[in-house]
Amino acid sequence: MSPGAPVELTIDGKKVSVPAGTTVFDAARINGIPIPTLCHQQNETPVGVCRVCVVDVGARVFTASCVRPVEPGMVVNTSSEKVQRARRTLVELLMADHPSPCARQQQSGDCELETLAKRANISQPRFGRRSTSRGKDDTSPSIAVDFDACILCDRCIRGCSEIRQNFVLGRMSKGSIAGIAFDDNQPMGGSSCVSCGECMVSCPTGALTNKSVAQTAIGSGPGFESVTIEDLQQLPVFQGVSGTFLSLNRGAVLRRKFRRGEIICREGEYGSTAFYILEGKARVSISSPMAHVKTIGRLKKFLGKLSSGLTQRVADKRDEETDQHWIPIDAPVDLAYDNPVAELGPGDLFGEMTCMSLYPRSATVRAATDCTTLEMLRNVLDIMQRSKNFRAQLDKSYRERALDSHLRAVPVFAGLTDEFIGSLREKVELLRYSPGQAICRQGDPADSFYLVRIGFVKVSQAHPGGEIVLAYLSRGDFFGETGLLQGDVRTATCTALDHVEVVRIGAADFNRMLQEFPEVRRKLEVVEQDRAQQNQERLSIVQSVPLDNFLQQGLMEAQSLLLLDLTSCTRCDACVRACADAHDGVTRLVREGLRFDHYLVATSCRQCLDPLCMVGCPVGSIRRRNSLEVIIEDWCIGCGLCAKNCPYGNINIHPFDVMADDPENPGRKKAMVKQKATSCDLCTNLAEPSCVYACPHDAAHRVDPRKFFAGLLGQSADQAPKSS
Amino acid sequence: MRIDHTHKAWLIASLAILGVATAVYVPYAANSPTGPSAGSAIGLAFGIIGFAFMIFSGLLAGRKKVALWRLGRAQTWMRGHLWLGLLSLPLILFHAGFHSGGALTTVLLVLIIIVVASGVFGAALQHYIPNVMTSEVPFETVFEQIDHVRSQLLAEAEELITRVAAPLNLVMTAPSGDLAATADAALGAEEATAPLRDFYDREMRPFLEAPESPNQRLADLQAARGIFKGLRALLPAGAADTLNSLEEICEEERQLRRQVRLHHLLHGWLMLHVPLSFALLLLAAVHAFMALRY
Repeated sequence: MSPGAPVELTIDGKKVSVPAGTTVFDAARINGIPIPTLCHQQNETPVGVCRVCVVDVGARVFTASCVRPVEPGMVVNTSSEKVQRARRTLVELLMADHPSPCARQQQSGDCELETLAKRANISQPRFGRRSTSRGKDDTSPSIAVDFDACILCDRCIRGCSEIRQNFVLGRMSKGSIAGIAFDDNQPMGGSSCVSCGECMVSCPTGALTNKSVAQTAIGSGPGFESVTIEDLQQLPVFQGVSGTFLSLNRGAVLRRKFRRGEIICREGEYGSTAFYILEGKARVSISSPMAHVKTIGRLKKFLGKLSSGLTQRVADKRDEETDQHWIPIDAPVDLAYDNPVAELGPGDLFGEMTCMSLYPRSATVRAATDCTTLEMLRNVLDIMQRSKNFRAQLDKSYRERALDSHLRAVPVFAGLTDEFIGSLREKVELLRYSPGQAICRQGDPADSFYLVRIGFVKVSQAHPGGEIVLAYLSRGDFFGETGLLQGDVRTATCTALDHVEVVRIGAADFNRMLQEFPEVRRKLEVVEQDRAQQNQERLSIVQSVPLDNFLQQGLMEAQSLLLLDLTSCTRCDACVRACADAHDGVTRLVREGLRFDHYLVATSCRQCLDPLCMVGCPVGSIRRRNSLEVIIEDWCIGCGLCAKNCPYGNINIHPFDVMADDPENPGRKKAMVKQKATSCDLCTNLAEPSCVYACPHDAAHRVDPRKFFAGLLGQSADQAPKSS
Repeated sequence: MRIDHTHKAWLIASLAILGVATAVYVPYAANSPTGPSAGSAIGLAFGIIGFAFMIFSGLLAGRKKVALWRLGRAQTWMRGHLWLGLLSLPLILFHAGFHSGGALTTVLLVLIIIVVASGVFGAALQHYIPNVMTSEVPFETVFEQIDHVRSQLLAEAEELITRVAAPLNLVMTAPSGDLAATADAALGAEEATAPLRDFYDREMRPFLEAPESPNQRLADLQAARGIFKGLRALLPAGAADTLNSLEEICEEERQLRRQVRLHHLLHGWLMLHVPLSFALLLLAAVHAFMALRY
């Protein structure tokens, strides 16, 4: 029979004629006879895996109508009692392995399986439910995956491969543990998924659903313009994104117009959106004074009265302060320390870290000309970032404009020539990682050097007692040099703490750089030695402290504690008053906290070894000195994130009166209050912290806890670590 | 301040000064035909040194006001205050030749004895009470925050009582049947928790609201334990957690009261010591001026 020749058959007693090659399912559908199905969609190749569309064609067994071609004279029964009973059993079996109501049923009430079950009057499946969960994958910012709700219909797999040609989704395992998987079973957020949304649109149940974001509409009013899906899809960066997906996220992307001089976003503010410049130019700057907080003596010597003031590093170079000339911000460019202003233009994206990880804005952005932007929420930004076109555009922009300043912002690489950086331009790779994803693992061969462009990276080592955090790295920091210099394996595991983007330089280019620039090699070797020494010290500390209580209170993490001996302390508060006197009436210590032995661990900076306060600083101004003490660099914008992150409440935000740009009158200055983060500075310009000096009862002590408590910890003071 | 081994140097120095003073005074008093005199060279010297020690001791208050001035560590000043202040008494007695003299000098002598005695008493309290407070008040808070903590405890207790008194909470533990059964269970639960609400209204709320009121049974640990034991027997098992929480709140309130009492004891003696010290210094200055002038 030639293809396309008419075939006559009978369906439910009705004589019909359809072209040869038509499936029974389609023949019935064309003639108005509905057959229920779950795994079949008109725009996908039928696979017949769910078997819900079974019909009786008079054969020994029922057949899946979606894959069975019609035959001349075939008699099909689609709804006999036996067929319906078989179908009902299939639905019951599927429901037994399905969380009811699933996410889709909860969101929109249109889970296809649950609709079928309801229609068949199935409420309590007769079959036992799966006892263990198959889990969820929450790593994608835009799509939620619930493996328990998956019925293995393969519609998502065919949508990804046949319709979108992305080939990310596939089948994994067999039997009861079979499931869908992204790439080679990566978390969805860390896979090569481009968030086109096709899988989610194809899924008949709540296994793949649109992830709602906390804020579904950005705003309204003058300056906010909604964008139609057609408009968006005409933009190159949105090409390839599913229209259905964009429709589900209507309101999560808006066009915003700013007049010249208008502020687009302000440093330190919390937000949840990113901006993509369509037209015009914007000026990005840090308006907080480039200065750090310093405790200043108003009068000399013994009559010294203290106050807090702002001082630039040129006037007050502190020990181990960085000599970095570039300030990392949440934009494609870095800002110069001496003149923290830069320009952004069409095609530039800024506010990624704020949008993806909800960090405070790192800089103020003002329209330099009349400016049109797209403002978007996280799920839309994620789609854009996964769009191949957009990635290519971002990569190009980074290579052309930012790689140079990014490399030079790292003091170690300041000496690289333009020529060499030019040669690297086409060789470096920009890689993205989702929260929790390992960038490189301890013991892997060292084949690359990494420079952090966006986000925070945790560096840790595995030891018999557990994982030890060695460092947190942020934009401008680098890792991977140790393994390459030693020509060996990775000495630590580096994991993305949030949405991380790194610049990867291959081993061959790295080695060429070391050969051509011996000064860079020398500086890197110094860094490597310093890091190795710090790691060794930290390890010796961790291994030498046995007491659970000591660990529970986080005292092992502390390098310097303010302890009040409760058997001597008369609760006179002289320490608190002295601290307040030394810091403009705002005390940096509170005489309250946990007790260890007969000591009160006062609320005052502990100079932690694992300084969580540093994670998330949008401008990377809080960091650890080589001596492991915390230092706040000049470009702190006072957003307060470090104060929130400190588990012990030991960081304060200190207000200062300064003259800064007047947002209402561009080009003019206005007196305003700017904030800077402060923590106990140990009254570093004095011989002894004021709190300790002012205690009349010899009760206040600033100590290294491991030395001070060496006796209690079953060590002699000599055995205690000598590092800190 | 704790008087411990770190005071050894001060103790030795003070004993040495006292020894030298005694060695000077005894032969001087024995050989003086009219007895020791405050106006004699040696008597005057004792007076000047004793007064100087008193002034130094008095300056501690000023030192505390300028805590950041680099005038020496506050604890050094405190040690000096303790030991030199103590030494000032025998030196002034040597100066007076153990005679009270006229009205002013009698007042001065009484004052210095009271001031030194109150100081010694205060030092003893400072040595002893911080230990007691540390061991007996594990819930210790900043003294100025006590009222705030009390209001939080009261709010927490009110919340617990509201929750346990809501019948549906207990109904949930009963087997659910028809509406009538549920209503019966609710009424039963309300009846069951009546003793707790009665106890709260009569005893616990006043205990938390009015810490100064006398004769509160909950203020006594043993009595409170007895009360809660009785309540546990009366109330359904579902209320056990609430009772534990309420008992903890009472314990915290008792500790706050203990902290207040200890705090007043620890600092109360200063109400006598400080003003009398100023009076002493003032009158001593008047005495010195008058004695030297006339």
